[in-house]
Amino acid sequence: MRSANTAKNLSHRCALWTSLAALLILFLALTGLAGAEEPLRKARLMPLWSPQAQFAGYYMALDKGIYARHGIDMTILEGGPGRSAVRSLTSGEADFAVLWLATALQQHDTGLKLVNLAQIIQRSSLLLIARKASGIARPEDLQGKKVSLWDGELSLPVLAFLDMYRLRVQRIPQSYTVNLFLRGGIDATSAMWYNEYHTILNTGIDPDELQVFALHEHGVTFPEDGLYTLEHAYRGDPAFARVVARASLEGWRYAFAHPEETLTVVLDRMRRAGVPASRAHQRWMLERMRDLTRMDSGTLTDDDAGRLHPSAYLDAAAILRDHGVIREIPDHTTFTGGDDARR
Amino acid sequence: MDIQTSTADKALVVAVGGRLDALTAPEFERKAAELIAATPGPLIVDFERLDYISSAGLRALLATAKRIKAAGAQMLCVGVTGPVREVFDISGFSAVFQMHDSVVGALAAVD
Amino acid sequence: MRAGRSIARTFTLVVSVCTTLIFTAAIGYSYHRSRVALEKEVATNVANLVQGSIHRVETTLRAIAKATEGVARALETGHPANRSLHALLKATLLDNGEIHGFGAAFDPDPVLDPPVPTVPYFFRRDGRLIFAPEDSYEYLGQDWYQIPKELGALAWSEPYLDRASGGTLMTSCSVPIFVGTGEERKVRGVVMADVSLEGLTDLVESIRVLRTGYSVLLSRNGTFLTHPDRDLVMNETIFGLAESLDRPELRDLGKKMVRGGSEFLAYTTIGGVSSRMYYAPVPSTGWTLVVIFPEAELYADVHSLTLVVTVIALAGILLLTGAVHGIARAVTAPLGALATATEEIAAGNFDAGLPPVGTRDEVGQLTLAFAAMTSALRDYIRDLTETTAAKERIQSELKVATDIQASLLPRLFPAFPDRPEFDIFATMDPAKEVGGDFYDFFFVNPTNLCFLVADVADKGVPAALYMMVAKTLLKAEGQRLGEPDQILACVNTILAADNDSCMFTTVFCAILDTESGEVRFANAGHNRPVLISDSTARLLPVRTGFVLGPMADVVYTTERMMLRPGDVLFLYTDGITEATNRTDELYGEKRLLKALQTVADMELVEMLAAIRAEVVRHADGAPQSDDVTMIAIKYRGMPNADR
Repeated sequence: MRSANTAKNLSHRCALWTSLAALLILFLALTGLAGAEEPLRKARLMPLWSPQAQFAGYYMALDKGIYARHGIDMTILEGGPGRSAVRSLTSGEADFAVLWLATALQQHDTGLKLVNLAQIIQRSSLLLIARKASGIARPEDLQGKKVSLWDGELSLPVLAFLDMYRLRVQRIPQSYTVNLFLRGGIDATSAMWYNEYHTILNTGIDPDELQVFALHEHGVTFPEDGLYTLEHAYRGDPAFARVVARASLEGWRYAFAHPEETLTVVLDRMRRAGVPASRAHQRWMLERMRDLTRMDSGTLTDDDAGRLHPSAYLDAAAILRDHGVIREIPDHTTFTGGDDARR
Repeated sequence: MDIQTSTADKALVVAVGGRLDALTAPEFERKAAELIAATPGPLIVDFERLDYISSAGLRALLATAKRIKAAGAQMLCVGVTGPVREVFDISGFSAVFQMHDSVVGALAAVD
Repeated sequence: MRAGRSIARTFTLVVSVCTTLIFTAAIGYSYHRSRVALEKEVATNVANLVQGSIHRVETTLRAIAKATEGVARALETGHPANRSLHALLKATLLDNGEIHGFGAAFDPDPVLDPPVPTVPYFFRRDGRLIFAPEDSYEYLGQDWYQIPKELGALAWSEPYLDRASGGTLMTSCSVPIFVGTGEERKVRGVVMADVSLEGLTDLVESIRVLRTGYSVLLSRNGTFLTHPDRDLVMNETIFGLAESLDRPELRDLGKKMVRGGSEFLAYTTIGGVSSRMYYAPVPSTGWTLVVIFPEAELYADVHSLTLVVTVIALAGILLLTGAVHGIARAVTAPLGALATATEEIAAGNFDAGLPPVGTRDEVGQLTLAFAAMTSALRDYIRDLTETTAAKERIQSELKVATDIQASLLPRLFPAFPDRPEFDIFATMDPAKEVGGDFYDFFFVNPTNLCFLVADVADKGVPAALYMMVAKTLLKAEGQRLGEPDQILACVNTILAADNDSCMFTTVFCAILDTESGEVRFANAGHNRPVLISDSTARLLPVRTGFVLGPMADVVYTTERMMLRPGDVLFLYTDGITEATNRTDELYGEKRLLKALQTVADMELVEMLAAIRAEVVRHADGAPQSDDVTMIAIKYRGMPNADR
């Protein structure tokens, strides 16, 4: 009886394995056929900074298979201190990069031609933050004060703001934290609305304790994050670049439509990158990105979303030119990829 | 019935008030006997305030008179008027007892 | 038995409820006081524990700060050659085991060569010192350099994860290097000591309060440096957590913490566990050490103690209730038995056995008293029974006496049916069983009928006895002598002999000559009779004679009158005229005469009945003390009048 049973079981198992193998072959054949029909094209994206909700759209486009659906085999590289997005483009490490408009224009001026494929952050998110307790209530109060600024083009909107009010301040170099400001080492600090501002709040300082100068409220409307690629690469296959841009924007819409899922994905990336990952902070950042991209779910065809507006572009470029960062303002159409840009 | 005792001159005066009937007669008889035993001598019974006397009352009076007589003295009746007088008259007691109008008169009659 | 059970139940209930209340109050108070005391003690202990830990941390941190400071001061004297600088850094690092890496950085200075100097930096690895100079100028914007420089004072950096050492949690102690004095004094560089926080976090994590209590270390910015939830460490600040959990009070708590406060407070953990929290600052670095432990564990001992006490109390109450119930039953059971016995006694069974007296307590005393009462009651009932029997015997004897007395009087009417010349009728109603009144009539010879009415002084048995004697004597002497005066005188003489009690009787004695209608009569102190003639009633004028009995040798007089046919002579005793109503009004002779006049033409039977009814009506229910006796004789005249 026992041996008979075992034999029976064996025969059953054989049948099972056979059917499984058949299914596997069928599956492989189908996928192989699909791959043969439309092979995924490899692409690499370098974000401006370490993983955070600032780049949530790209992560979600990848994570939810949006890139794949568009025929893109996307790899998102890990940004962060010491990893310049511009350099990753020039070195060929990345095909696409998230850059500030100011950076792109500056690079353009130095001869590195870049094409703006999509504009994510439509206005300046830069803030100058002081403590109300230090007696600073108006921009004029900053005269002669210690103000920390980031290096390079990130400081340009702030300098434009300071110029506007003819302010001479003690410039203190600013790196990655706001601890110097928190310790009282300086009077005002530069801050991103979606990042450092919330960081300050989450060290136990209440909003009403702070005097915040939002640059865009003072006429410095400086578009920030955009999706760029090298011009010669773009010219090689503009359509592919556009697909990457479209897929990325779709990723952004998905992120805004599914914030908690997005946060989980973002936090997971952050942990893997070994950077401090606070859900509360990332939630704030994602919400502010929604504000800054002026993108809401269901506005996929909105003309505003994802487009670099000529007026904002010209205003920003003018500021850069006036500060001697660039010599001339590139043509908007050319800068955004020419006539075929929006096709 | 109420009995008031007083001494007047040589005699003992007992004034009887109310009703002297079967109910009260034994008490009168007993009291009178005590008085006679304590104070030998004539006894004047004053009926001035007596409203009614029954045959039992008369019997008590007789017994008292007999007791005094045995002691060698006499009993006198005073103030027998009205219904009491009628009873005295009908029963013939007024003819048997010494009857006087007043205590003074009775005293005068004593020896 | 119901009452007995109810008393026992009530008593048991009251005692158990009261006891329960007392225990509840006592245990509740004790529990509360214990909690307060325990909380106070634990608060002190925890504060000591935390302060002790902080002290240990502080000691280490200060030593590091002192070493770093020493190097900074040493570097203020001038620009040391790279070699001596390196030697100084290395020596300091060697001397201070707590320091992981040590370096010094200077402001860019055109005087220097190169203007932006290389930063010399030594660190430990596997017990050796490694030299790892940094030649970028990035340090100028870094916290460890900027903060002490801008503040002009020693600064501990926000802890960070050092990638170079595999993600170790580190902090840096930076001390500015000054140059110049007074107004000229400025910072020209910074000496920096990197410190691994592994030992510190181990120390903090080793702080355990009670069983599952834990500790948390917060940085100056409120970032979790240690926490049982590893995900929070170096990722989240207490404020971010407050935001995520939407707990504004946690943000307020965090503010107090990062501002250097210290407090013992009630706290509900993220998991919703009621807990206690104590926090205190680490002064050098501005960190906060927090200790959290569950309230349940804090009070575990008190709870278990209270539980044990409560169980003991409950057991005690149960025992007490049982005992009280038992006692109450023991007390009330005899009462119930007593009640049952009482019911039986009440039913008349005096021999019903009382429950045995077991104790000398109140119930025992009650039973004894009850037994005594029952015995007394039994005796009394027996006496009463005897008395009643005696009374009944007397009553029956009196009844016999009444019958005898009644039978003595002629009661058969018409008494002389063969004598048409006259009618005679008489009644006697004694006030008591036996009376003192009597009447009689008899022929002394064929034509002379003697009739009389008498009233013996006083009433009752003595009067009845006297009446018997008087009645017998009167009849005997009446028949013998035949004349009223002689009859009375003779009977008086007999009665007066040996009459110590002074009994007497009134008698109206008359003799009717039935042929002529002449009546001869004599009176011994009796009421005057009424003569009804021609429908007119009037009192017969009678000479008064003394009553029979008191005195011998009394002389009576016979008077005479003529009865015409139809005339009625009505004899009575004072029971008629002295019948009183409720206002003590006597019936009187006037009323009698008037009444007799209205019934003058009636037959004698009816006449006497009417008078009796009239007297009863007058009395109107007022009690009568005298016998009522009437005798009436109606003369009809001889049928052969012409003879």
